[in-house]
Amino acid sequence: MAVAQERAPGPAALQRRGRFRPGDALLYLVTCAAALSGALLLALITREILVEAWPAMQKFGLSFLTTQAWGDNNKTLFGAKSFIFGTAVTSFGALLLATPLSLAIALFLTELAPGWIKRVVAPLIDLLAAIPSVVLGLWGILVLGPFITGTLGPAIHGTLGWLPIFASKPTVGSNMFAAILILTIMMVPIISSICRELFVSVPSELKDGALALGATRWEVVKGVVFPYARAGIAAAMILGLGRAVGEAIAVTQVIGNNVAIHADLFKPGDTLASRIAGQYQGADTALQVASLVYLAVILLVFSLIANLTAQLIVRRVAARHNIR
Amino acid sequence: MKEFVTRRKRPLGVLSVLVVAVTAVAVGLTTGAQARSSADELKGAGATFPAPLIAAWQTRYEAAKGVKISYNPIGSGGGISAISNKTVDFGASDAPMTPDQFNTCGGCVELPWALSATSIMYNLPGLPNNLHMTGPILAGIYLGQIKKWDDPKIKAVNKGVNLPSTDITPVYRSDSSGTSFNFTTYLNTVSRQWKSQVGRGTTVNWPAGVGARGSAGVSGVVSRTPGALGYADIAYALKNHLKFFSVQNRAKKFARPGLAGIKAAALADRKFNPQSNELSIVNPPGSKRFAKAYPICTYTYVILRIQSDKANLLKPFITWALTTGQQYGRPLIFEPIPKYVVARGKATLKKVHP
Repeated sequence: MAVAQERAPGPAALQRRGRFRPGDALLYLVTCAAALSGALLLALITREILVEAWPAMQKFGLSFLTTQAWGDNNKTLFGAKSFIFGTAVTSFGALLLATPLSLAIALFLTELAPGWIKRVVAPLIDLLAAIPSVVLGLWGILVLGPFITGTLGPAIHGTLGWLPIFASKPTVGSNMFAAILILTIMMVPIISSICRELFVSVPSELKDGALALGATRWEVVKGVVFPYARAGIAAAMILGLGRAVGEAIAVTQVIGNNVAIHADLFKPGDTLASRIAGQYQGADTALQVASLVYLAVILLVFSLIANLTAQLIVRRVAARHNIR
Repeated sequence: MKEFVTRRKRPLGVLSVLVVAVTAVAVGLTTGAQARSSADELKGAGATFPAPLIAAWQTRYEAAKGVKISYNPIGSGGGISAISNKTVDFGASDAPMTPDQFNTCGGCVELPWALSATSIMYNLPGLPNNLHMTGPILAGIYLGQIKKWDDPKIKAVNKGVNLPSTDITPVYRSDSSGTSFNFTTYLNTVSRQWKSQVGRGTTVNWPAGVGARGSAGVSGVVSRTPGALGYADIAYALKNHLKFFSVQNRAKKFARPGLAGIKAAALADRKFNPQSNELSIVNPPGSKRFAKAYPICTYTYVILRIQSDKANLLKPFITWALTTGQQYGRPLIFEPIPKYVVARGKATLKKVHP
């Protein structure tokens, strides 16, 4: 009890001093209101989304998740299957590319790079995160798309064409592969900057010890740095995934917006967030609006799960290392 | 001690709720004030299709009447949302509003105020402008059944043209678009399969092709993708130097989306939809009167609130747009609207009041 009181300032502390301090009271008031309004906002948004989506949830139930249709049967049938597929493929595809790249960047910058490279390159990679997604999407249309159809796509199809995911030569720059590359660019600064922090925090005694035992650089990374940071890397990946799942504008510009499920990444597709961004304004019928908000419900559940998982992992690691 | 803590906490909790409430009210007031535009200004938003015409009106109307017109071309769907949310004084849409949208809008009227055509643009390097196209072929392409440019059906209407064997990439609007409504309405009239499988609307479930956002997105993908084909208003295709088809009408003539072709199509529908004032002039009959008609033409509409604080400014502006304003459309390939459409517009406008 005594410990807890020491830790908790606020009214108890004010009272103990026996004197009312307006500044402290105001600080308490403002910060408390800010914290409460954050929680309140989340609750209100969730409620509003559920209310708006209710007509579609009532009509389609859970079969919405397994229906591949959008406005079929004279605008009476809607389903999320192809968008869930598109979201999963593009975000996990991007994660698959971004994770090794980010780990390499973080390792190089913390363990191997000379100081001046570190000072120049690290802020530049962080700046990648500052590019507005609409600008990145535009770059996707103007530069990345033609590059995929002209150079990258034919090359990949030529060498890896036996894989079903590269089965066709891309005819147009708007496809799932373009979306994956754009999302990768968005994920790398997030994952790499967290990993950099993680690697720096590995105690140098451990690394020095391993080196003293005759370990090579790679063995230190493999045996000390990675195991120490393992859980943190997982949390970073989940945060990156959350970013990719929720990204709407840049994806909607490059993915081709087609209601279809193709194993072939050079074919167009669509994601949950992209569909909502594309069609919420001016939807033809009330049912279409409700179905779009139903997509938002799915997206919200996805993001909540991702964020909670990341928090759990971080908490577990913190507990293990007795960090509070 | 413990009791003291809770007692001390309670007033703070109440106060913080008060702070939140006051902030919320303040935010509400400021946004409310922003929504109301200043005294001599009319704010609009909506379709990209009439944007060049409205831009031509802005300067002339301000010079003549001293009223500033601002217009934000965010797409037909965005225009309908904006007028429904009362953030603008007028909305613009190429598609007539659906009954559901009228419900959401709550006390709105819609009337046709401009007339133009949707062009079918293509990217075939080395081939001339105004190649020939028919409705059934277009439907086949967008259904994913006609896949190559040297398909016998396309060759049959383009004799002597050396069509390549490249893939056709049909491009469509991914956002809610009145141009899509116009185009799919046309496909509905020329293909039974299209009508039963896809239908018409500002957004439909496109069986083939790729989506792009806005007219700019569609023309962007078309101009960067050899073998691509897409649709946008003719002013847009001309401005961006894209090639476009002459499309066969029901009189079996190939017509260009020019003023003559639009003028000929304009009289194809005289029956206004009682709620939305829709006039559907796609694919006019094959009689001699419509021999020159371009088959993918559309009226585009303005949406107003029946009860509007700006009624005293709005009504003169819309009347001016329906009459004097029409002449400025010709250089932009907007054909002046026929007299009976003007009369209907003026009659509808009478419902609007402060």
